Amino acid sequence: MSFLGPIPFAVWAAVAGGAALLAVSAYIIKMRRRRFEVPFSHLWQRVLDQKDANALWKQLKRLISLLLMLLILGLILFAALDPTLGGVSRKARNVVVLIDASASMKAMDGDEEGTRSRLDIAKERAKALIDSMGGGDLALVMKVDGQATPMSRFSSDAPMLNKIIDGITASDTPADLTRALGAAADALRDRPNPLIVLVSDGAFPEPQLALVSWEPAVPPAPDPAAEGRGAPGATTGATAAAKAAWSTKNLATVDLSNIDVRYVPVGRRSDNVGVIAFNVRRYLANKAAYEVYVEVQNFGTEPARRQLRLYNGSTNVDSKTIDLAPGERKAEVYKELPASDDNKLRVSLQPADVDPASGINGSDPFPLDDEAYALLPARKKQKVLMVTEDNLFLEAAMLVYDNVEQFKVTPAEYDAKPSLADGMDVVIFDEHTPAVVPPPPASLLYFHPTGPHTPVAIRRELPSPRVTEIDEDHPVMRWITMSDVYMDKSNVFAVDPRQGESALAYSVRDPIIAAKRDGKRKIVAVGFSLPSEGRDGATDMPMRVAFPMLLVNTLDWFAGMSADLLTTYPTGQRERVPLDGVVGATEAEVKGPDGAITNVPVIDGLATFYGARVGYYDLTAKDALGRPMAQLELAANLASPAESDIAPSSELSLGGKALAAPEAFAISRSQKLWIFLLLIAMTLIVVEWVTYHRRITV
Amino acid sequence: MVSRKVFSGALRAERRTRKVGSGIEFADHRTYARGDDFRYIDWNLYGRLDKLLLRLFEEEEDLSIYILVDVSDSMAIGQPLPKLHYAMQIGAALTYVGLANLDRVAIIPFADRLIDRLPPSRGKNRIFRVFEFLKSCGIGGKTELAECMKTFVTQNKRRGLAVVISDFYDPDGFEQGLNTLRYNKFEPFVLQVYDKREAEPSLAGDLELVDCETGDVREVTVSKSLLEAYQREHERYCKQLEAYCTKYAMPFFRTHTSIPFDELVLKIFRSGGFLR
Repeated sequence: MSFLGPIPFAVWAAVAGGAALLAVSAYIIKMRRRRFEVPFSHLWQRVLDQKDANALWKQLKRLISLLLMLLILGLILFAALDPTLGGVSRKARNVVVLIDASASMKAMDGDEEGTRSRLDIAKERAKALIDSMGGGDLALVMKVDGQATPMSRFSSDAPMLNKIIDGITASDTPADLTRALGAAADALRDRPNPLIVLVSDGAFPEPQLALVSWEPAVPPAPDPAAEGRGAPGATTGATAAAKAAWSTKNLATVDLSNIDVRYVPVGRRSDNVGVIAFNVRRYLANKAAYEVYVEVQNFGTEPARRQLRLYNGSTNVDSKTIDLAPGERKAEVYKELPASDDNKLRVSLQPADVDPASGINGSDPFPLDDEAYALLPARKKQKVLMVTEDNLFLEAAMLVYDNVEQFKVTPAEYDAKPSLADGMDVVIFDEHTPAVVPPPPASLLYFHPTGPHTPVAIRRELPSPRVTEIDEDHPVMRWITMSDVYMDKSNVFAVDPRQGESALAYSVRDPIIAAKRDGKRKIVAVGFSLPSEGRDGATDMPMRVAFPMLLVNTLDWFAGMSADLLTTYPTGQRERVPLDGVVGATEAEVKGPDGAITNVPVIDGLATFYGARVGYYDLTAKDALGRPMAQLELAANLASPAESDIAPSSELSLGGKALAAPEAFAISRSQKLWIFLLLIAMTLIVVEWVTYHRRITV
Repeated sequence: MVSRKVFSGALRAERRTRKVGSGIEFADHRTYARGDDFRYIDWNLYGRLDKLLLRLFEEEEDLSIYILVDVSDSMAIGQPLPKLHYAMQIGAALTYVGLANLDRVAIIPFADRLIDRLPPSRGKNRIFRVFEFLKSCGIGGKTELAECMKTFVTQNKRRGLAVVISDFYDPDGFEQGLNTLRYNKFEPFVLQVYDKREAEPSLAGDLELVDCETGDVREVTVSKSLLEAYQREHERYCKQLEAYCTKYAMPFFRTHTSIPFDELVLKIFRSGGFLR
């Protein structure tokens, strides 16, 4: 038996002595009695004289009562010492139970029938571990997926820990073992008898398994030989370099010195065929078509056959049967696929109809990597209305872009009938700033806006401006050079980021090209005029390559397309998603495939995105007041060959050290006694109370 | 009030005596002697027997009744009214009965001594004086029955009925006091008054019992068994008193304060033969 109570023995002894003294004194000190007047005490005297014949028994009863009280006191004080049975041979441990909840744990090979997942088995093993804990053991449950999430504090409350374990669900992300081991080691720092139990299928990338140090990190000692040679500069430089190298290495590794790490393997099957890459892109030249790249791999040890199907929305674009040798990785490229209104693409690996006797694997227990998702920016021919007097430069530049359908009206015609712009995707106002503009989502491009209806407030007019700086990060200004563009004059815009406005080109500090997001539509305002007949302002911009590029970029931005816009992200990694020119957003709301909504910060136009599920995500950028500014769609895929390789590892080696299994989960067989002692004490108190009030012990 | 003994009175009244005199109840004949009153010669017998015989009549005199009321401290206990109140009510009622019967009734409160004394008086009109006396008489002290009775017989030479109304809670016992009355030719009439709560107290817990007369303190832890033992002891004490009275032919009544005193006087005393 051991005593694990937090009270020092000397303090306990003092308290025990005091309490015992108090109890005995209470029996010795004369009891204060209620006075009662009787007419003839002589009769009482006679009765008591008869009772006094049993005086010895009466004294004995009183003594028994005192002993009973001392016994109760002793039991309570003994319980305060936290006596523990069986804790002598094995000290109480602090255990961190790492439960792998990564994607591979969703493999349905927990049992022979394939009805239970690996995670179900892992939770069962973890609960068995918790149930075998002794009274002195403390355990912390941590979920390991793309993040390391402590699910509890250190506790010995087995029912509570089991309930927490029951609530763990697997995510669609690879496991970040390094982060989990680091968190576990930090949690166990300065705790006695630390133990980490990893319940997993062992599907971790090799680099993560190597980032472990079993010895305490010791910084490199200065080289005494170099010091002795008296070359202080060289010595200092060499030492600093060594220290830097040492720091870099040790910051990345997890220090598991003095920590016992055990491994509980789960999983049975290794046969799996999964999509490990799925990409889609538009052709730069023909944005009405796209190309798809799919890469699948057979991780099993036997040949496999699958149906590979590509869907655009719900339309099956292509279907083919692929055969994969053991370990074979095969890439499929789908070229010149026509775009449709639906921008969602999905590739699916479906079981193939195979003869069981053929030895070909037709299906696998891990369905998560059998599907992958991608998004194609919606593409269609834009209807562009040019509100201009005959401007050959503009019309000629528009001709280079074959993905538009052009319409042209004069400013007078437009003013007379603004409804001419209805149904247009883009309206270009050349040297005209009407009071009535088409309603969203029609986007607007202004050349030299003037007057009170200008889309971006005009601060002043600048003579002979020179473009000194452009926002190359904005999709409109991509690949554009304007440094040698000449212009007579230009409006200078008063850009207000709070209104969703941003400057695209500056003359020194004066914005002369501005972009704006106005709800569902986008606006670009160019401060200078295009050359045309009868205009006094002049620029050589249309003579430059930058002009058609500017038009194409602007129309692409209006259409929500960018050649290098990434819309597919891997799960389990924190990515920074550019918000496609959205200015002024401070927060974004991310709605996941499972309907879960999270809010993420937007910093410098980049939203932090972490996908825990595969599928499509809706990201809504919001301003400081919480108003939605723009919407973006994203797709997240597992895309992790390490995670798709579901072959369970019966043994796991961390930093070159093979991890042993826990000793039949018998971490400590100690048994806490305090609860039983208190129960006995309470029972005795009840007995004492009843016998006293029934006047048996008095 | 029925007296079993025949006491000689002082005045003519309604009680027979052993005296032969001028009453109306015929008693006997005797031979005529010279000097006798001719009016009492039985002439019928002289005609038949030819002898002069004189008719004798019983003399009717009054009876001395002493109402001895215990006014010790123990009589001041009782709920809702103390036993003393009840005892005084009974004493007053019996006094009235005696006065109405032309008996000489005296009231003597006692405790550790004879505290006061209402001299023997006759006639119903004295009842108000009795009330005033009872109202004003002092109370308190220990019960010392023997001493009081000794003083009483010394002070009252005229024998008669001695009605002792008390709880008889005398640590020295009741026997000697009652014997003193008997030995001095008084006819004791014993009336024990008690309160039901003192016979069956509802006590519990750790108590300090204080004797209201002696001040003796006794620490007890009252349990159910102890209470039962006390009740038995109280009953035994009362039975002892009753047995003693029965043994020496002393009329004995025991009553508790819950019985209305008029019912006690009119029904119980009458059915018990104490009142006619």
